[in-house]
Order: sequence, then structure tokens, then C-alpha cells
Amino acid sequence: MKARLATGVVIALLISAVVASCAPKPAAPEAIEIGGSLPLTGKYGSLGEQMKPGYEYAVADINAAGGVYVKEFDKKIPLKLTLYDDESDPTKAVSKLETLYSEQKVVGYLGSAGSDMHAATAGIAEKNKVPYLGVAFALWQIHQQGYKYLFSPFWKSPDIGPGVYEFLNEMIPEGERPTKVAIFQETTDWGIELGGLWKENAPKYGYEVVVYEEYAPRTEDLSGMILKAKEAGAETLLAVPSPPDGIALVKQMSELGWAPKFTMLIRAPDGNTWGETLGTAGDYIALVPGWHHGVNFPGVDELNAKYQANFGRPADVLTGPAYACVQILANAIERAGALDREKIRDAVAATDMTTVIGPVTFRQDGTGVVLVPIIQWQNGAQELVWPTEHATAPFAYPAPPFDER
Amino acid sequence: MSRKQVILIAFLIVILAFLTFLPVVIKKDSTINLSILILLFITLASSWNILGGYAGQANLGHAAFFGLGTLATRLLWMSGRPLLPSLLAGGGVAVAFALLVGIPAFKLRGVYFAIGTLALAQILNVTVGNVLPVISALPAHYLAAYRLAPRYYLFLALAVLTTGTAYVLVNSRLGLGMMAVREEEAAAESLGISALQHKLLALGTSAFFAGLAGGAFAYYHVSYYYRFPFGPVWTFDSMMMAYIGGTGTIVGPIIGAVFYVIVKEVLALKLVEVHLTVFGVLFIIVVLFLPGGLVEAWEKMRTLAHRSRLKGFRKTF
Repeated sequence: MKARLATGVVIALLISAVVASCAPKPAAPEAIEIGGSLPLTGKYGSLGEQMKPGYEYAVADINAAGGVYVKEFDKKIPLKLTLYDDESDPTKAVSKLETLYSEQKVVGYLGSAGSDMHAATAGIAEKNKVPYLGVAFALWQIHQQGYKYLFSPFWKSPDIGPGVYEFLNEMIPEGERPTKVAIFQETTDWGIELGGLWKENAPKYGYEVVVYEEYAPRTEDLSGMILKAKEAGAETLLAVPSPPDGIALVKQMSELGWAPKFTMLIRAPDGNTWGETLGTAGDYIALVPGWHHGVNFPGVDELNAKYQANFGRPADVLTGPAYACVQILANAIERAGALDREKIRDAVAATDMTTVIGPVTFRQDGTGVVLVPIIQWQNGAQELVWPTEHATAPFAYPAPPFDER
Repeated sequence: MSRKQVILIAFLIVILAFLTFLPVVIKKDSTINLSILILLFITLASSWNILGGYAGQANLGHAAFFGLGTLATRLLWMSGRPLLPSLLAGGGVAVAFALLVGIPAFKLRGVYFAIGTLALAQILNVTVGNVLPVISALPAHYLAAYRLAPRYYLFLALAVLTTGTAYVLVNSRLGLGMMAVREEEAAAESLGISALQHKLLALGTSAFFAGLAGGAFAYYHVSYYYRFPFGPVWTFDSMMMAYIGGTGTIVGPIIGAVFYVIVKEVLALKLVEVHLTVFGVLFIIVVLFLPGGLVEAWEKMRTLAHRSRLKGFRKTF
């Protein structure tokens, strides 16, 4: 009797399993909706212009391969990308993200550019519980709000705070290192954050901060700080100026005849106009824009070729990170096996893949563990100097006086 | 009560009922968010209109009042104070600042007053940027309880309150005094109207509602730099809306705000690459052909319709 009962139960289970497997799968959507707002106009317009092709090329490449495989529907589904112009205005960016959520019902957001824009839109992602991938901001503070849906495969202040000294120690033999440091700290949140980290980390790596000066953005006369640094014998200059301030700074350094052996300016020299505006005075300046078209990772050559065909130059520094955001999101959707935002969020958090910016994983706070390439202006071009295995030119050190360039 | 007044009141009741039930009927966050922006700008444009449109003082520093309201409310609210007192404090700070600068500022006339107010707002903008250079972001636990509907009702209440106050004010003896000052200050003074008192009243009222709007913005916006609400764009947007709708009228700023926000948003969504160019051309057309704003267009259409009716009447008889 017992044996019959057991046989019956097994048969029933088998039948229900067969019926379940024959049940029709839910109808697949025509496309997987993703989108974001970008500053195509306004103060961050030049950044948005670099990022837009990155997002678009990545979507086109993924769709050319049939789209993203979603297990729930057992098929590949193409991505549909919607991008809006937020005019570099956080209020407008918020409005665009609400539209993407309510109208397009996106399963993932792609971020804007600039810390203030990301801070506003990451909050909306958190409210709407939509995974958010953003680059072109290095402010670490945004990641310290407890947000669960914000992910940034882009370097943050704590990476470059000690990173600059690690770079110098690796590239320059002891005894030749520019150990006397001047830090010109812009009175902005990012300036304070990064300036503080540079100051805090200097002694740990054998450097001494001889000048730490604060200045307000758009200060026209920077000569007081420059002369103090010159007088103190500073050999390294570290600063986070905006493009106009950075240009003014280098011009005034040239006029006052102060050429530190090593200068790292974050943000100001990222644009292509740096070399055109400053000529040889702009050379030898190191920068950390987040990426360089010279890195040896899969897909970079194809991305450069496409960019070259459309814009007449290899991919810009923010194009690669933007491209990587779509790669990460598509990969996460595939691993999630469903278009459920929560599952996609968890899959993004567990990312461990190689993209056009190199290997990417995420920390608990959503900051990316990514390669932080260091670039240097040489002969009017941005050359990748570190990591050396990716370098497009050797690191030029020490910088000669301005009149000898 | 005339038939016209009854129709007007009925119309207002229908509009208010529609706006009250909007978040209940339409649950889309995008629509509620857009409505919030419209209501915010109705409040800002209407409050600018009290001083700029009715008292004739071209204030280019409206963002200062808005920014101060935002700053005071955000700091108080984020430090755990209840919302309503924080909002009122925002409005109060804006009024205090307005009256403090108003007395010296009103020694300036015309374009000098405009430049003076712009300079004051810019000084505040830079100062706040230097003193508070950080982002004010709502932490995750605030966002967990964040809902758009209560924000919407707050902005709706403010827009109604501002418009209602403007209506009562301009139809009062004080309002008539303000308009007399706008038309000819010397003549108004000669009739015993204190120009300074009336201008200060207009400035204080205008600043109070701009400050309250700022407070509501502090409650609404998830994250921004403290200096962001002090930016000149808030002044110029409010002013443009008042001009597009029609300055010196009650409905002008409302029509202007609705037109400006909706048209700009639709263009931004439909014509991503060229939306600003198209909007700029539209704005130039309105300014060139309708210097009195969209309210003037409405009046012109009514006059034309009336004339054609008269023609028809004459032909019939």
C-alpha cells in the first residue's frame, strides 16, 4: 500500500514538473528599457558630449550581437536607450529621471556628469529603487549617504589621495623624488575632500606638505599662493581646479617662473582644449581623467575606430567609462536572468567582469574598484604614462622651466 | 454677484478640485513632479510680479530670497525641526533680509535698482558657495519615507496662497498705492502716498512668498549644493514667466509658468538635441509680437471676436 502511495506521489510530481515546464513563458518585451539624463548643454556640456557616444556605441554593439540574454524569457532582447538633456541643472535631471521611471519604465539608470548632478539623480534612483550607474564624478561623499542603488565604476578621492604618492614612488628613484609638496585647495567639497586626503597621506609615503593654500573658485589672482610655494621650494603641485582656474594657474606660474618638478591638476586639463589654450606651458601636467584610449582591454580598439570614424580622433576620456556603464548593466541583467530591478541591482553589486576600462568590481558603498590610469600632457597630446604596461609614452620627469619647453 | 463672477468662481473651484485630486487620479511620479515644478514657478513668478509687476521695481535679486528660504528651511528641517516652523523661518529670514537691504536699495531707481539687486543676490550666491561648499543630500533613511504627494500639496497650497494674497493686495488701497508708485512715483508722493513704504511692503510680501517657495524646495529636492538655489537662473526664469504671461496681472504669472515649464519640458523630451534653440525662438516670438504677454494675446483675441460679433450684428440689422 505504502509502495503504491509513494509511486503515485512520484508520478504526480513528475506530471506537475512536466506541466510546469510546458507552461508558456511570460511574453518577452520588445526591448529592455534603460536611460538617463546627460548634460548636453550648460556648464557640463563638454562632459556630456564625450559620454553620449559611449552610451550609444555600447548599446549599438550589444544589440548588434542580438541584445541581452534574459533567462526569464529564454531569449536575447535588445536594449532601448533613452537619453535626455538635463542642461547641467540638477532639478531638470531629477525631472528627466522621473519621466524615465514613469514613462519608459527603465530597469537601469545611466548617470549624468558632475558631482552635484549625480548627488541629485542618485537620490531619485534610491527613491525609485532603480539601479544607477554613474561616471564622471570623483566625490566620495555621495557614496556615504547609505544609498543602495548607486554604483560608480570610476575612481574616487580615496583612490587618488594616496595614489599620487604611490605613482611617484614607483616611477621615480628615491633621492630624485619631488618630496616637498604644495597643495592649492579649492574651497569646494571636492577640493576639501581631495586636498585633505593628499595632506593626510603625504607623510606616509615620505612627502612633506610645505604649502597648503585655500582659494575660492574663479579667483583671478593666484600669484600669492604661487609665490609662497616658490619661496618654500615646493617641488610638487597638487590641485583640483576648474578649467578656467587651471588655465589661469599655469599661465601665472609661467609668468612668475615657478615650474615644479611634478604637477598634477585634477579636472582642469581633462578637456582637449587644454593643449590648444596653453601650448607648451600646458605640457608635463599630469591628470587623472578616469580613462585613456590607449589602455589594452578588449573592445577598446573597436571603440576607438568607431569614434575616429565619427569624430576624427580616438575615444575621449569619458567615452570609455560611459561605454563600460552599459556593459556592466547589460552583464548584470544577463546574470539576474530577469528584468526585476531588485535582482538587477544585486547583480550589479556582484559585478566581476572586464570592460573597456578594465576589470570592475564594486565595494559595499557602490564605489568601483577600477584601474586609475595617470595621463600626462606631452607635446600637446594626452599620453598614458601609468600603469606602465598600458603606457603610450614614458613618464616625463622632471618638468623643465617654462622658458625651456 | 454678477453672472461673470459666478462663472469665474465656479471655474476656480473646478480647477482647484482637479488640482487637489491630481495625485490621487494620476499616480505617475513624472506627472506629479512636473506639476510640482509648475506650482513652484507659479509661486516664484507671482511673488516676483508683486514687486516687479505691480510696484514697478525690476528686481533681479529674487533668487536671494528663494535661496535664503531654502537655506534656512533645509538646515532646520534636516536638524530634526518640524517642517512647518522651518518653512515659516525660511519665509521670515527672506523678509528680514529684504527689509534690511530694501531701504538702501530703494534709494536706487530704474536700471540702477535692477543692477543693485542682481549684485546683492550674486554676493549671497558666492558667499554661500564659499561658506557652505558641500552638497546637501537627503540620506537613504529620509529617502525611504520620501513621497511626492505631500510635496505636491505643499506647493499647491503655496501657489494658491501667493496668488490669493496678490489678488487681495492689488485690489486693496495698498495695492492701488503700489500701482500709483509704479506709474509715477513723484505724482504718487504728491498725493500723500509714501513710495518707500509701499515699495517696502511689496518687497517684503514678494520676499516672504519667495522664501516660502524656497522652503518648499528644500523639502522637495533630494540633493543640491547649498548655493544652487541662489543662482541667477531662478530670478531670470521667474521674471521670464511673468513677462511671457503678462506682468502686472494676476493670471499672467500663472499662464507664464504653465507655458514655460510645459513647453520647455515637452521640447526637452521630444527634441533632445535642439530643444533650447527651439524654445529660444519661441520666446523671441512671444516677446516680439506679444509685449504684454499671453494675457495680451487673450485680450486681443477677445477684442477681435467682439468686433466680428458686432459686424455680424450690424449686417443682421
